[in-house]
Amino acid sequence: MADIVTSIISASLPLATPILFSAVGEVYNERAGVMNLGIEGIMAVTALASVWVTFSTGSYALGFLAAIVVGIAVALVHSFACVTIGINQLIAGLMIFSLAEGIADFGYRTVSAVVPPTVEPLQALNLFGLGEVPLIGPLFDQNALVYLAFALALVMGFVLYRTTWGLGVRGAGEAPQACDAAGINVNLVRHLCVLIGGLMAGLGGAAMTLGYLGIYQGGIVAGRGWIAIVVVIFARWSPYRAILGSWMFGLGFSVASNLIGSGVGIPYYVLLALPYVLALFVILVVHRGTKPPSALTVPFRRR
Amino acid sequence: MHSTGLPTSLRLEKVESYAIGALVSLGIFSGILLAMGFSPLLSFEAILYGAFGSVFSATETFIRVSPLLLGALAFLVAFKSRFFNIGVEGQLYIGALTAYLAASQLGGLPGLLAVPLVAFAAFAGGVAWLAIPLLMRIKLEVNEVFSTLVMNFVAVLVISWLTTGPIKDPIAVNPQTARIPESTWLPVLIPGTRFHLGVFAAILSSFLISGILYRTVLGYEIRAVGLNPRAAKHGGVSVARSLASVGLLSGGLAGLAGMIEITGTSHLLAQGFSPGFGYQGIGVAALGGFHPIGALSASILFAILSIGGEAMQRGAGVPIEVIYILQATVVLSVLIVQRWISLRR
Repeated sequence: MADIVTSIISASLPLATPILFSAVGEVYNERAGVMNLGIEGIMAVTALASVWVTFSTGSYALGFLAAIVVGIAVALVHSFACVTIGINQLIAGLMIFSLAEGIADFGYRTVSAVVPPTVEPLQALNLFGLGEVPLIGPLFDQNALVYLAFALALVMGFVLYRTTWGLGVRGAGEAPQACDAAGINVNLVRHLCVLIGGLMAGLGGAAMTLGYLGIYQGGIVAGRGWIAIVVVIFARWSPYRAILGSWMFGLGFSVASNLIGSGVGIPYYVLLALPYVLALFVILVVHRGTKPPSALTVPFRRR
Repeated sequence: MHSTGLPTSLRLEKVESYAIGALVSLGIFSGILLAMGFSPLLSFEAILYGAFGSVFSATETFIRVSPLLLGALAFLVAFKSRFFNIGVEGQLYIGALTAYLAASQLGGLPGLLAVPLVAFAAFAGGVAWLAIPLLMRIKLEVNEVFSTLVMNFVAVLVISWLTTGPIKDPIAVNPQTARIPESTWLPVLIPGTRFHLGVFAAILSSFLISGILYRTVLGYEIRAVGLNPRAAKHGGVSVARSLASVGLLSGGLAGLAGMIEITGTSHLLAQGFSPGFGYQGIGVAALGGFHPIGALSASILFAILSIGGEAMQRGAGVPIEVIYILQATVVLSVLIVQRWISLRR
């Protein structure tokens, strides 16, 4: 029994990692006043880019760089459409989703027609030698991306709440006119936050393929980008609470896959639906007391 | 009275934006094809030939119009009252399921009775699936964007489960049900093709929805709630009631889109039968300026690209995904240019 619990917890962390990266990025996005519903697509295209570049060059560093660059590039389209021009952010985000997903699937077909790219997932790092400690050991025996995601969430939480720049981000989404009067370039802040969102979703995509899958296939993101956006609501737009929310979904996915492996009588597809039912439940339960940033989805124009 | 309610200058702006948007997206499309070593001109030829090269392919194109158009209408009625129903895909799947369940039971009835009953079942299925997020919104003020979206995944997985287990045709290799009784099929209008009544039903619905939105009190209230909920409330409009009517229309149309795929086109329920009609419908609605008649034109364009694209994939070996890229860039560039022009004036 203890073994099962340990393995579920151990597997939950890498599964939480892509969601955490994307959710923290989306927190910045939305705190600055821009919703990006394209995260799911960005994760797909960057998951492919990272595995393909790592496969062709043999360098994990270049794979990450590719994921970051592609993530930022797609986000740039979104920030141009929503911040510079100011079209409906929800529609724009959904189109970014289709666009990026289309590029990912198109790219995969073209690339895999030659050789489907496969890489060895990143090795686990036994942090501080704590990996052998019973029960909590698995928490410290993960790949570098897991640690990076949790560390980034903490750092970005600190920046958001404790620095002038973070105040500017929160202001851009809460009271853009006041920020503007205070001499902050609201739209510049928003552009940067959308790009940060793209970068983080890129890391999220890479965390799937380089982190544990080692391959790309159509549909591997399977809603994790959407779940990241639900996590943002659960977290009430806090990077710290996003850690908790992502881990909860990581556990959900981990429990589901453990049950699938254990051969209990519950049908495979019903188990797959568990994390989404959990998401619906989360939305229902946490909506009380959640207030999105006041200027979320409202384009800013200087009067 | 203008049925669109738009001044003439805005309409001119629309023409310009469609022209510029088309050019921009065609440029990007050609660029991608060239980069991947395909000829843009040959690909276009393949698309047009695939969509209109024969009577059969032309009818297939119009068959594709129906789910896209109904999906778009489902999204846009709700959008008019600022209710973001991103769950059209899920409601379409559940509508298809209830249509299948009804049809498989109603084989004994003559078609004239069976088809309307199946349609009612599909409508109710779509409404039921939307009812959960809709009630969460009306009663608890839970934002519908995420609840409708998450329920898409649940719906798709429910259909996957059912078509691989409880209702799977035992002798079929693929995850799908047995065929529904022939009396419940939508009548074929052009012999030798699959061109069925559902295509007309879909086109008719766009005029019907246009009439409801712009010629009835209900439509006026729906639009008033969308433009300014507070003002509408003070004007005596019940926001909850018009959201409920919107939900009924939106979920029902999505359910009908699913039904038409089952009783008109495939005659069975298969796992993952929709290549994302619900999501594409959102693009169609946006491209059509969130107007039912605009959505009709946009759905024809999307259908040409989809059916032509499938032929292009078979013939020229260009992956179909490039069509999804093109569809998304068309919508994005038209919206961007439209907004850009209106900002400059």
